[in-house]
Amino acid sequence: MRANVWSGRNTVQVENVPDPKILNDRDAIVKITSTAICGSDLHLYDGYIPTMKRGDILGHEFMGEVVETARGVTNLQVGDRVVVPFPIACGDCWSCRHEMYSICENSNPNAGIAEKLFGHPTAGIFGYSHITGGYAGGQAEYARVPFADVGPIKVEDDLPDDKVLFLSDIFPTGYMGAEFCDIKGGESIAVFGAGPVGQFAIASAVMLGAEQVIAIDQYDYRLDMARNRAGATDVIDFSKDADVVEQLKVLTGGRGPDAVIDAVGMEAAHGHGALHAAERMKQATRSETDRGHALRDAILACRPGGIVSIIGVYGGLMDKFPTGALMNKGLTVRGGQCHVHRYLKPLYERVRNGDIDPSFVVTHRLGLDMAPDAYETFKHKQDECVKVVLEPGRDA
Amino acid sequence: MQRTAITVGRGREEVARLWATPGYRTDYIDQHGATVAFKDAPADRGTEIHVDLGGRGADGLGGVLRKVGGSPELTKVKDELRRFKQRVETGVIPRSDGTPEGESAERKIKQRPAQPLTDSELPKAGVA
Repeated sequence: MRANVWSGRNTVQVENVPDPKILNDRDAIVKITSTAICGSDLHLYDGYIPTMKRGDILGHEFMGEVVETARGVTNLQVGDRVVVPFPIACGDCWSCRHEMYSICENSNPNAGIAEKLFGHPTAGIFGYSHITGGYAGGQAEYARVPFADVGPIKVEDDLPDDKVLFLSDIFPTGYMGAEFCDIKGGESIAVFGAGPVGQFAIASAVMLGAEQVIAIDQYDYRLDMARNRAGATDVIDFSKDADVVEQLKVLTGGRGPDAVIDAVGMEAAHGHGALHAAERMKQATRSETDRGHALRDAILACRPGGIVSIIGVYGGLMDKFPTGALMNKGLTVRGGQCHVHRYLKPLYERVRNGDIDPSFVVTHRLGLDMAPDAYETFKHKQDECVKVVLEPGRDA
Repeated sequence: MQRTAITVGRGREEVARLWATPGYRTDYIDQHGATVAFKDAPADRGTEIHVDLGGRGADGLGGVLRKVGGSPELTKVKDELRRFKQRVETGVIPRSDGTPEGESAERKIKQRPAQPLTDSELPKAGVA
């Protein structure tokens, strides 16, 4: 089959690789119809997530048709159309039984490696380095789906792929980020990052009843989407004024947002060129793995007693983490890779009901063989790229 | 420290029974003379399995190296405990493309790329 593989820093290529096979009694094989490039794939592409290996198939946002099931998978039939959640979860361990699927205790066969870095292992993830298991990803024609009796959700109506594909990751991730904010109605929420996850965090905060939702980014087209499609009430372009904390305080009458969502993660930019360059240098020389501009500002801007919700991906260690502000302002921090399985059904219902059309983030649709170009376009924010969907059955 | 522990989401009797049942684990822990104890975990957590390998390698250069790099025996014991937990809780040993045999100390050092196995690799990984 054809698959998009990581070939070293800033390089991917589409190659012929063996077709996936059933390896366990709870596996299924899915023929992929749509697969997306996630912002967090860029962390792998850029070489900032350790334990990547040349030849790794990328991709953790995908959907398709079931073409084979192992004997333990009785909930799916060949021909079913499914969306596959990005974390791989057994459904049996204590964490899964408590709906914390992204910290499944059993699905990561490289648990010992993850334990060294994080203290404890986390769940396996498709196409996301060997710390998260070394599973082949979904930027391919086919994928093996372990624990297929637990993860995939069947799409039983004729909704197009673009409307349901993002149930695999970015819609639930954004939703979980908003849910972390304990929105009861009337709150001010700031969302750092107006990439695809940020767009869904904004849309979800609006759906949950926030009164003011402020999007922060440095690209006009993403801020336009945040305001016009996701529902942000205010936007901050930090390329024009780098003092995000003061701008947020002004927008909230000096109080600061009730909750802040970090939808940026480890490759944050800073509006001040020298500060940004210094942090990039530290990251490039591996004296830190995570650039922390967004999270630092989020913590400094959040109102005392507020909530910091972290859904942007971090990989290791960050310099100058503002522990003083965090502790003295009495902030609550919540974060994590999304427990996608928990949100699949309720968010699928929201899509079916027309509460939201997640396809609004899609700006580029290409054939799988165009993946290398697509990564470059997405990385460098060319052509007003927000979200790329790759279709293995498409020519270009 | 040459001790480790894991919690398995089953009652103590069942865990003890499966621990003694062939096929749920290898003999590695027994062969290394480790002390094994079962203990009820709090609330709905199941059963804690505590393994003590004794104080081997605590002194000298070997002890220093073990502190820095970790004890190979302890690493292997941790792998065995995870595999036992996986088998008991899920019924399978999770296999990835990078680690097709399931959790193993050897694979941690030499991962294969995360792409499907060739036909010739399947039997080596224990897949029929």
